[in-house]
Amino acid sequence: MSFMEFVIAAIGIASAIGVVGFRNPLSSAFSLILHLLSIAGLYALLGAHFLAVSQVVVYAGAIMVLVLFVLMLLNLKSESGRRIGIVRSALTVGVGLVIFLTVSGPMLAQFTDISQATLEQNIKASEGGVKAIGELLYGKYMVQFELSSLVLLVGVVGAVMLAKRKNVQLTPREGGMGGAK
Amino acid sequence: MDPITSYLGIACLLFTIGGIGLCLRRNAIVLFMCVEMMLNAVNLAFVAFSKIHGNLDGQVAVFFVMVIAAAESAIGLAIILSVFRSVASIETTDAAELKW
Amino acid sequence: MVELLILILKVFLVMNLALVLGSTCTWLERKGSALIQDRVGANRAGAFVYSENRFVNVLLAPLRMAGWLGLINTLLCDSLKGISKEDFIPEGSSKFLHAMAPVVAVLPIMLAFAVLPLAPDFYAWDYFVHARVAPIDAGILFVLAMGSVAVYGIALAGWTGNNKFSILGSLRAVAQMISYELPMGLVFVSLIVIYGSLDVYTMVEKQQELLWGVVPAWGVVYQPVGFIVLLLAGMAETKRGPFDLPEAESELTAGYFTEYSGMKFLLFWLGEFCEIALFALLLALLFFGGWDIPWVTLPKGVWWAALIGHAVLMAKVIFFCVLQIVIRWTLPRFRYDQLMNLGWKMLLPVALINLVITAVAKVLL
Repeated sequence: MSFMEFVIAAIGIASAIGVVGFRNPLSSAFSLILHLLSIAGLYALLGAHFLAVSQVVVYAGAIMVLVLFVLMLLNLKSESGRRIGIVRSALTVGVGLVIFLTVSGPMLAQFTDISQATLEQNIKASEGGVKAIGELLYGKYMVQFELSSLVLLVGVVGAVMLAKRKNVQLTPREGGMGGAK
Repeated sequence: MDPITSYLGIACLLFTIGGIGLCLRRNAIVLFMCVEMMLNAVNLAFVAFSKIHGNLDGQVAVFFVMVIAAAESAIGLAIILSVFRSVASIETTDAAELKW
Repeated sequence: MVELLILILKVFLVMNLALVLGSTCTWLERKGSALIQDRVGANRAGAFVYSENRFVNVLLAPLRMAGWLGLINTLLCDSLKGISKEDFIPEGSSKFLHAMAPVVAVLPIMLAFAVLPLAPDFYAWDYFVHARVAPIDAGILFVLAMGSVAVYGIALAGWTGNNKFSILGSLRAVAQMISYELPMGLVFVSLIVIYGSLDVYTMVEKQQELLWGVVPAWGVVYQPVGFIVLLLAGMAETKRGPFDLPEAESELTAGYFTEYSGMKFLLFWLGEFCEIALFALLLALLFFGGWDIPWVTLPKGVWWAALIGHAVLMAKVIFFCVLQIVIRWTLPRFRYDQLMNLGWKMLLPVALINLVITAVAKVLL
């Protein structure tokens, strides 16, 4: 792996451990933002340029802002008392290790049915330009595309219905920030 | 191991870290963030596979996963807010009992 | 090897340009606001240098002129004052995040300059030079992505301030910025529909022609509504102009800036003015033809045509910077609910309808 790949992957893994490890949920959130940006960097290194930019726009730019908003509005303290015991932590990490070995075993096996030359050719052929992805998205995956717009609509309506306060009268003075204390 | 396969290894590692976080943390928002991390690990594996096989179907799959994750994050955070209003805490151990 | 050297030179030049434009905007703001408010502005520092030696005195005349214009005051004295101030970090918050917040607010703005072309492509001793640092094919989407990431600097700044004014100010600023990203993105999509490419260079290239032989085919001719929407949305996104409630002194004691002093505050300040320059560059490139002189055609690929094009582009950028400064000092501030109303209830439907009409027109014509 080249130097760039190594550095960005290291940042990604370190920030992932930071998400799990920090006690303050806001530090976890900022660590996740760094993780998402490093994953975007990995996509760019893999040649998926459109995906890298849309990862920054969607994940790091919109979803994490939502999470940060919720965290700041709820104004939480760090996780209170009752720390998880050392036995349970060690057991969890052990089970995690077993899962890792199980998942990565078949994935990391050498792909013997694809020769090295075909691999090189395939790497060149899969440059994620916007035009190529657009042709696939609006051609072969048109139905899925339309359905995903429906999913987003359901998401928006559901979020508004769930988070709305019941029986609240907003006075004209409260305006856009009505209800937040 | 050729360079593309090492991306798959990184994806597995990130998935496992997300899974461990999901088991260890009690704060609902941190749980949500660990789920997002697992989704991202799967996305990385998709992109690596698309590069191995030489077509862009993997990247289109990543696109759809991102869309679903966005919708899920909106609804998940709305659920967390609703739970916070009735229980006044977002630790999962505080909401573990049904109303009698 | 030569490509690497050209890349380093390009990065250096673009960074220089971004910072020089930002600093020029600070000076324009100071003197321009003075002119608009019918006062003189800063004209003392460096205006009275004098030397007994007559020869040196003549050489000092440009320095006196610069001092009289307020350049030395704004560019030199403000920076020295900022560097020498005490740099404190509020108690009870993370030192690292407090120091990182200005960086996270300013760095994406500098990065967004990387995908914007600053001159037409030209040949230099048989190397074909793209006049932008990163010729990726998702150009405009990258600018939108950087605008989305710049939100985190504001959130960090407010949270590490550890007082209610900062948090309130930063929440309002974040809500404002993410609300106005939507009309901005929709205007970008309308432009993509018209020009058929996400790359900003292709968009500028297509604006060089003449429409119906008479009118230059600039973006503002294709998308007048889009221009107005982008002007408003961009000014709200950069928290400038009548949308600067997050920095309002009378209401929030400087909002999310409250706990910042010295060089960190100057970094926020410089970032805001570089954002003005970025937005002016975007407007000039997308809507006013970039380096196009209306009815004059210059030969492509020649280095002196690139230089003239760059000069024309900079003239347009300075025009839009002055426009934003004039708008800021002329209009009173919006109230917060008026601001959000404008973003969600007026600009977003207008941008959507604009997109639909553009798409229909593109298919039919």
